[in-house]
Amino acid sequence: MNQDEKLNMIKDILLTDEREFVSAIEKKIKILENTVNKKENLSIKVDPIIETKLKEFVKEIPVTLGPTITEALKTEIKNSQDAVVDALYPILGKMIKRYIQHEMKLLSEKINNQVNKTFSFKRFFRRAKSKASGVSESELILQEQTNAKIEQIIIIEKGSGLLLAEYSKNKMADEDMVAGMLTAIKSFVEDAFQKENQNLQYIEYDLYHIHIQNFSSFYIAVVVSGAYNVIFKDQLEDKIFEFANKEKIVKHLKNKSLLSKKIKDFFKNDSI
Amino acid sequence: MTVSKKIVLIGHFGVGKTSLIRRFVENTFSEDYKVTIGVHISKKTIAIPEGEQISLIIWDLEGQDDIKKTRPSYLLGTNGFIYVFDLSRPVTFQNLDSELSFLKENYSNIPVKVVGNKMDLVNKVYLKEHHTIFEPHVDYFVSAKTGSKVEKLFSKLAEALI
Repeated sequence: MNQDEKLNMIKDILLTDEREFVSAIEKKIKILENTVNKKENLSIKVDPIIETKLKEFVKEIPVTLGPTITEALKTEIKNSQDAVVDALYPILGKMIKRYIQHEMKLLSEKINNQVNKTFSFKRFFRRAKSKASGVSESELILQEQTNAKIEQIIIIEKGSGLLLAEYSKNKMADEDMVAGMLTAIKSFVEDAFQKENQNLQYIEYDLYHIHIQNFSSFYIAVVVSGAYNVIFKDQLEDKIFEFANKEKIVKHLKNKSLLSKKIKDFFKNDSI
Repeated sequence: MTVSKKIVLIGHFGVGKTSLIRRFVENTFSEDYKVTIGVHISKKTIAIPEGEQISLIIWDLEGQDDIKKTRPSYLLGTNGFIYVFDLSRPVTFQNLDSELSFLKENYSNIPVKVVGNKMDLVNKVYLKEHHTIFEPHVDYFVSAKTGSKVEKLFSKLAEALI
């Protein structure tokens, strides 16, 4: 064994561990390089982490960013109200126009169908009714499509505006306050025109018509939805007079629950 | 059983009629002054010692510097009046005598409670100075801002109505 061979043997003995260590590190570096530099390998490792983080972020948005965004939006809308209205107006306008067009189309189809049923008894009676009442046949058809419905009936003491009795199918505004406000409006109008023995008989509010029928110590207000026309008004007036006479309501003005029950029983079908 | 009674608040502009009602009905107070136009109606149901319930339908009328200018139709069928003046503004109570006489003459059997509002703005010395005006008429010194004696005012009036 010459000098070189001896030296190599010593090297082998002394450096074997380091070499193995270095080669292991080299391997690991290659794997890392492979992972970092190749997109698909990197995405396998990183994607789940990003996904988890994103999920957490999305979850936290309402808590962390929500109030800031809401505040920013509120301020922006407040500062540029005109711009918001300008932006929304055409969209809303178009939507309403389209809706009305659609409804008119449906209505026109319904009317056509009805008119086309030439030999129906209904049409015969409608024609007779039209001739007798002087209301055009088309108006009668329209009326059939949008029948008036009684939504609420309130009996109110004149002057004080205190509620004497009430019946409504669906709970509307507080009836005591409605009775008071109606009386205040009625008093104001009647005072303003200062004509003797004249009473407010009708108020129109958006989709509702408030029919007012006066008696000596009280008045009856009927909230009506749908087509409130002369025919309906006449029928409603007759029905209220019939109710007042038949049920002798003057005698029961102090008994709110009995009077309310009487209204309910009398008007429950809301067919006038 | 619940009975309903109509209460009307009257008095000059800005004496705190609306604030008194808001304090009583909603237990709130706001420094912002919004003038009442026409009439505003509120409602609160309270229990009275007789074991019954009373529904107070409270009419808050727009302020008038002269009670005779109040629309008479708003006063029809009233069960109880609350006459309000502002303790800190003498102009609102300088005609107290004639204003209350008008109520007595035209609504003789109807209970009236006379209240000086804004008690939080005046002190005892000030009340003593105006003693001769307040003593014969005033039922309560109240404050819509602090809520002092507001509840008592309405419940005592309610009791008087039964």
